[in-house]
Amino acid sequence: MRQTTAIFLTCLSLVFFTTGPASAQTALPSFGDAFAAHHTQVKLILSADTAKPGDTIWAGVDLKMESGWHTYWKNPGDAGSPTKIEWTLPPGISAGEIQWPLPEKLPPAEVTTYGYETEVVLLVPLTLASNLSGGPLNLAAKVSWLECKESCIPADATVEAKLNIGSETKTSAEASLVQSWQQKIPKPINNANWKIKVWWEKPATGDLRPLIFERPGIYSAAKNIPYSVDVFPEANDHFEIQSAVENLPSGIGGFHIRKFVKKFDGNWPTEIGGTLVATNYLGRQGYDFKLPIDEFLASEQSLLQMLLFAFIGGLILNIMPCVLPVIALKILGFVSEAKSEPRRVRKLGLIYALGVLLSFLALAAVVIGVKAAGHHAGWGMQFGSPVFIVCLTMLVTLVALNLFGVFEVTLGGRALDTAGELASKHGAAGAFFNGVLATMLATPCTAPFLGAALGFAFAQSASVIVLIFLTVGLGLASPYILLSWNPAWLKFLPKPGAWMEKFKIAMGFPMLATVVWLFNVAASSYGKNVLWLGIFLVVVAFAAWIFGEFFQRGRSRRGVALALVLILLAGGYAFALEKELDWRTAMPEANATGSLKESADGIDWQPWSVEAVAQARAAGKPVLVDFTADWCLTCQVNKKTSIEISSVREKLKSLNAVVLLGDYTHFPDAITTELNRYHRAGVPLVLVYPKNADTPPIVLPEILTPGIVLDALNRAGKP
Amino acid sequence: MKKTFAWFAALALTASAFGVEIGKPAPDFSGTDINGKIVRLSDYKGKIIVIESYNSDCPFCHNHYASGAMQELQKDLAAKGLVWLLVDSVNTKNFSYRTPEQARKESADLKIAATAWLDDHAGEIGHLYGMKTTPHCFVVAADGTLVYDGAIDDRPQPFGDPRTAKNYVRAAVDELLAGKPVTVSQTKPYGCGVHYAN
Repeated sequence: MRQTTAIFLTCLSLVFFTTGPASAQTALPSFGDAFAAHHTQVKLILSADTAKPGDTIWAGVDLKMESGWHTYWKNPGDAGSPTKIEWTLPPGISAGEIQWPLPEKLPPAEVTTYGYETEVVLLVPLTLASNLSGGPLNLAAKVSWLECKESCIPADATVEAKLNIGSETKTSAEASLVQSWQQKIPKPINNANWKIKVWWEKPATGDLRPLIFERPGIYSAAKNIPYSVDVFPEANDHFEIQSAVENLPSGIGGFHIRKFVKKFDGNWPTEIGGTLVATNYLGRQGYDFKLPIDEFLASEQSLLQMLLFAFIGGLILNIMPCVLPVIALKILGFVSEAKSEPRRVRKLGLIYALGVLLSFLALAAVVIGVKAAGHHAGWGMQFGSPVFIVCLTMLVTLVALNLFGVFEVTLGGRALDTAGELASKHGAAGAFFNGVLATMLATPCTAPFLGAALGFAFAQSASVIVLIFLTVGLGLASPYILLSWNPAWLKFLPKPGAWMEKFKIAMGFPMLATVVWLFNVAASSYGKNVLWLGIFLVVVAFAAWIFGEFFQRGRSRRGVALALVLILLAGGYAFALEKELDWRTAMPEANATGSLKESADGIDWQPWSVEAVAQARAAGKPVLVDFTADWCLTCQVNKKTSIEISSVREKLKSLNAVVLLGDYTHFPDAITTELNRYHRAGVPLVLVYPKNADTPPIVLPEILTPGIVLDALNRAGKP
Repeated sequence: MKKTFAWFAALALTASAFGVEIGKPAPDFSGTDINGKIVRLSDYKGKIIVIESYNSDCPFCHNHYASGAMQELQKDLAAKGLVWLLVDSVNTKNFSYRTPEQARKESADLKIAATAWLDDHAGEIGHLYGMKTTPHCFVVAADGTLVYDGAIDDRPQPFGDPRTAKNYVRAAVDELLAGKPVTVSQTKPYGCGVHYAN
């Protein structure tokens, strides 16, 4: 029946509308009449029958909707239109703004609207001039609204009420109705009491950005403890708070919610307004707010936790495969310094720490710079640059040669002559350099805890990035600072002696191993041409030997030796690096498609993409994704020990799982975005998506064991 | 922590399932038009395409057609070689649903000048593009990237003459034709909710 009516109404509206825009305007009043009281009945009520001049009374537009029909709030949300009131008032009476009672959030979720069902009284304060003369007055308002159920119908009606101006105020029969709706108007929030903080949780993903509203929990049983909180947004042309809300864990009496803001144009807002809706056992209460948004402000608790994670992560970095070669250098340093006086040992420890910290500061500056330039930043991103790899390969080669004794590193030219005098400077420069080297080699690794801390840091403000990076550095340097503060702990080390020279040479070999690894990373950028990098390294080594043997230790024609060194380096550079390798314009590997199998019976890796994951999940298959990079040693170790092993291969086969490889070697943006989604700043990241497509993926820890992987796969295989 | 990850993963999935992003390739789709022909977005490669979420029972949408403003825009753009696709995602149980026969009649009665009217009663295209309202509009550049997503114009009213408003679709198309970047690429769509099947 109602459907027939609606179709009739639609036809009727067609008639009105098709008469053209000009006549549609003039047809409005009759249009309104035609629709009056179809699905919404409207009347005007007043809080007083008689009022005195100078009073402010309440007028209420009472809209009663038929079952299933609704009208809209001042911000209708994804669709709809707010109700409007146009007053026709006698002179001396002025109407204020509509006071909107707290609306309902109306489904469906994909097109959420804010409105009223059954009934709403929109309240408007009417101010009476003090010189108003007595007698009856006629108040009229044209109310236009959009009413919707399965379809939407615009309607309007003119409503009237009579008000007597007298010497005494007399409340009306509707005064209690007005009062009950007054209580439903959101109150302005007093943030001195509420102490609500609003901050961006992280940078935007596309045009969406998560926004956190938090009120710290109070640990006393206060009245009106909200147990569920939402934010209804103010209408805005430039951005929109999305309707979805997530209540996160919070202390008693507090709340912690995540909303998403969608931006249409302009900059991200720095201030946000709307209505906070707190629901507790007493019911719902709205609070209007306008609050500043803090950029990336994290709650102090989580910052402290992340600083702790950063420190522990930095500490653990010392034993990760990337930094291990530098440990050899440090051991040597301690042995050679063990004989020195404690003060000097302490000083060297601090200088080493300074080298580490300054390097981390430099890294933080790079990250902040890259972010400011609007690019993605990631841990270890410099390893995506072939130029950096070439420089580092050369540097580590020189370190190995230095350990072999081919040449000396001194600030002066003649090591042997002024050995005693330069000893202190030599030690200091060496310690500093060790710190820098340790940091540089540490960056391609992430350690347990470090991933979480860095993932957090990369989304924060510059000062928090600096703080977290310095804390990681402090963690990395801390064992050496401690040891140099307490040289007594070094007593277990053997006495210095002739063995040290042999030990030093032996330690050159881990460095050579590092060179081989870096060379392999470079190969992924240069392909077969990497041969020319090898040739250049031989030229550099030869030049280093001439430099050490005939310039540093030579007695005559030292100038000739130096000239030869420079000629070798310049020639090697020009020919091998520039001409043959064309090292600054490396061509990245062609995007591999199809299987990336490593061996005949190996895992059938397919290249990762968001679509590939979605496709596999749509087909009801479990998915394992390994985000890895050639330069990420932790990733390689994980793969060898826990992924590319027979038990995991069989498990993957039996589950009919799709196995995807995300290659982060050249730092593609798509993977950075994906890593950020999981709050990670770098690789490794291994995800296992369960068969059931509604279940979120299992995020595996940074360091894997076969048990962890098999357990995750078992869980993923369950329906 | 775990919950956060789970949540973000869910978001990631939602985004990939129902997301269109400005500057990214507009996802391809295929649908049946009211004459029973299969229409794919990729059929119009190389042309500028306007996609409009349509339901003429919606007063906002209706006003654009009753006033003739929308048909004028459609004709103007068709003359410039553009493609205009109506997407009707109203479910079959809603009385605003049009059978192909009713739709053909309505299209003729209202003199709709779109390239095709797609019957999307399952809501597949609507969900794919995240269509929120009727009329929610999209503009796809000739190279297939999405350049506009939002309201038809800056006048969210079911009455009056839409020609007095700033029409975002026309502006985006004009800029594309002039080889300029699109200034307003995203606005909040207004109108009635799309009456999806689920």
